[in-house]
Amino acid sequence: MFAVVYIPNFFLQAALRHEPEWLLRPVALLNEETKLICQVTCMAREAGVGEGQTSTQALARCSNVFIRPRSVAQEISATEVLLECAYSFSPNIEATAPGICTLDLKGLAIVLPTFCRRNGTHDRLRDAVECVVLSADRMSAALWAEKIITQLAALNLRAQVGLAENPDLALHAAKVAQPFFLVENSSEFISSLPIESIEPPSEILDILRRWGIRTLGEFTALQKEKLVERLGAESLDLFDRAMATTIRPLNLVRPREIFEESIEFENEIETLQPLLFILRRFIEQLSRRLEFFYFVAQEIQLRLTLSSGENLERSFRVPSPTRNIETLFRMLQTHLETVQTDSSIVALHLAARPAKPEHFQFGLFETALRDPNQFYETLAQLASLLGSERVGTPVLEDTFRPDAFRMEPVNFESEGKFTIGNLNAENSAGLSLRRFRPSLPAVVELRENQPALLRSEIFSGPIAKARGPFRCSGNWWEQNKLWNRDEWDIETSNGDLFRVFTQNGEWFVEGAYD
Amino acid sequence: MSLNPKIIELRQLLSERFPGARFSADAAARLHAVWPTGIAQIDELLQGGLPKSGIIEVVNGRKNSGSALFISALLKKGASENQIITLIDGQDSFDPGAFEKETLSRLLWVRCKNAEQAMKAVDLILRDRNLPLVLLDLALNPLKQLRKIPSSTWYRLQRIAESSSTIFVAVTPQAMVGCAQVRLNLHSRFTLEDSDTRQDELLDKLRIELAQYRLHLGDVLEEKAEAG
Repeated sequence: MFAVVYIPNFFLQAALRHEPEWLLRPVALLNEETKLICQVTCMAREAGVGEGQTSTQALARCSNVFIRPRSVAQEISATEVLLECAYSFSPNIEATAPGICTLDLKGLAIVLPTFCRRNGTHDRLRDAVECVVLSADRMSAALWAEKIITQLAALNLRAQVGLAENPDLALHAAKVAQPFFLVENSSEFISSLPIESIEPPSEILDILRRWGIRTLGEFTALQKEKLVERLGAESLDLFDRAMATTIRPLNLVRPREIFEESIEFENEIETLQPLLFILRRFIEQLSRRLEFFYFVAQEIQLRLTLSSGENLERSFRVPSPTRNIETLFRMLQTHLETVQTDSSIVALHLAARPAKPEHFQFGLFETALRDPNQFYETLAQLASLLGSERVGTPVLEDTFRPDAFRMEPVNFESEGKFTIGNLNAENSAGLSLRRFRPSLPAVVELRENQPALLRSEIFSGPIAKARGPFRCSGNWWEQNKLWNRDEWDIETSNGDLFRVFTQNGEWFVEGAYD
Repeated sequence: MSLNPKIIELRQLLSERFPGARFSADAAARLHAVWPTGIAQIDELLQGGLPKSGIIEVVNGRKNSGSALFISALLKKGASENQIITLIDGQDSFDPGAFEKETLSRLLWVRCKNAEQAMKAVDLILRDRNLPLVLLDLALNPLKQLRKIPSSTWYRLQRIAESSSTIFVAVTPQAMVGCAQVRLNLHSRFTLEDSDTRQDELLDKLRIELAQYRLHLGDVLEEKAEAG
């Protein structure tokens, strides 16, 4: 048995996939190569707009029809979605045509009809049993098809599913399905189909109409040899298609496992809200697509195309790979809230790099982050509040220069190894210093080469005790980076402890001991 | 439903032996949860260590009362247990040069320019609930900035802290957190001679006064039940 998933008006559905509400309005899809309308919504059709019209003709028939151009990127994306969805139901799938996917159901646990008329023999008991089985089978096959339809509907694609004993018949069934059709009696079904369903050339179609041939049943009743005599060799292929008795081998494909969504905006975007609105839909779509493969997103790549032609690209590593919509969305939202562009946004592209989900159990004595995504989200919020250079882990530079450190992004994934030796080494330090950044300019008076009086923003008055100077210097081998200073630890008359230093003849208060 | 006393006892034993361990966050466990600081005076005053799920205010009376020393001790203790320590530095005054790289590797340092930024940062961090030890250092912030913090902000932070097992320590130049569960006043007065003293000896010289210790409502009810 074979199933065909058919997306009617595929190009139109692909173009409106991220704005499905437009399917309920009069919309016509324009093929920019032929400059003709190629597909229309029901509302547009009711208003008199149809395929083959020019956009002017369409607007003349319906002034409020919305004309959208075909979007190749969105069609590719929609095809991927269709194949991914189909692949989650059967390992043997064929990308038959745009918006058409054929599935081989061999080996699948789907209960399919077992009945057929066996050479005209009639066994009443067996027929009775088969009737019962048939009704049950219909239900199970319908449920199976409903699952596909529901999943595609969640991805904003309205699909029809047909089941039959061969791919061609299944395609015919899918095209007439509402939204599911199971071909129980293939000869009856094929006979009732209109002659147009095998898409004969227009000249042959005209002849057949003149002969009064309306259905495939009437067409096949003419017999193959007589048709060839009258219509030529071309009718042979038509006859075979009308009989639909052959099982052609499927050209099997596998989805590319590339999870991307993109849109070119009809109106340029200048504020955050509409961008976030579309972005959320993208995230929802990508999340569902990842779910088909039991994947999670380990990296999200965002690309904004500006009207100036510039591309703003940013990759977001997902600390704890997930397909949770809220988590992924918040990550992007936090970033975008801090983004300012010189020109408006004309296109959006979002891609997710998939990974297999990691499952681990927290240990009893483990101190790892409970929710890494939440944590990195908080870090992003802190970075937007304070600046990324003010949030992180300090790393000391390999120099004796005071206060030489750099900030690095936090990485608590790898647990540090702390030993008693390290603790003891740290115990050797004296009082802790609170630094003033930048150091406070000061005036220090010396008596017998010892600081005796301090005038600064933090304290002005006599110095009771002083220890120093502690001379330090560095980078003497680099002319422009050479530093050299004398430090003093002082105790003021009111008992406060400060570190002061002199450099290039100027005095500064570096910090307070506490 | 009250827990079996043996389970409570076992949890206490485990939390003392393995302070970094995570246990069930049920109310009974949380009420008894404390984190030993390794500073003998504080652990003695607070019956085991800093309580979780509340605000601990440390008032630094003078510039050299030892609050930086206290913060330094907490950082080292936390890092030695592989805890992630968050320091929200209200005036960007932390000196990383005094620490080993192992300690710094477990530190999230949030460098704020003023008290307003610091309060916004602490709000975000407490809501995160990933971080077990949060230190807010406002000791060097001018009083003019600190007076602008409405008391309702502290109540809000208290509510957030209450619902988590985070240890939240706020170091302030004067008492200002009305809803603090614990308030410790530092009265030390270090001198220039103390510059040569080892930090563990300096910690012994800290003069700490327990100015306020509020029990959780759960504790009060438990005590009443026991009395009844």
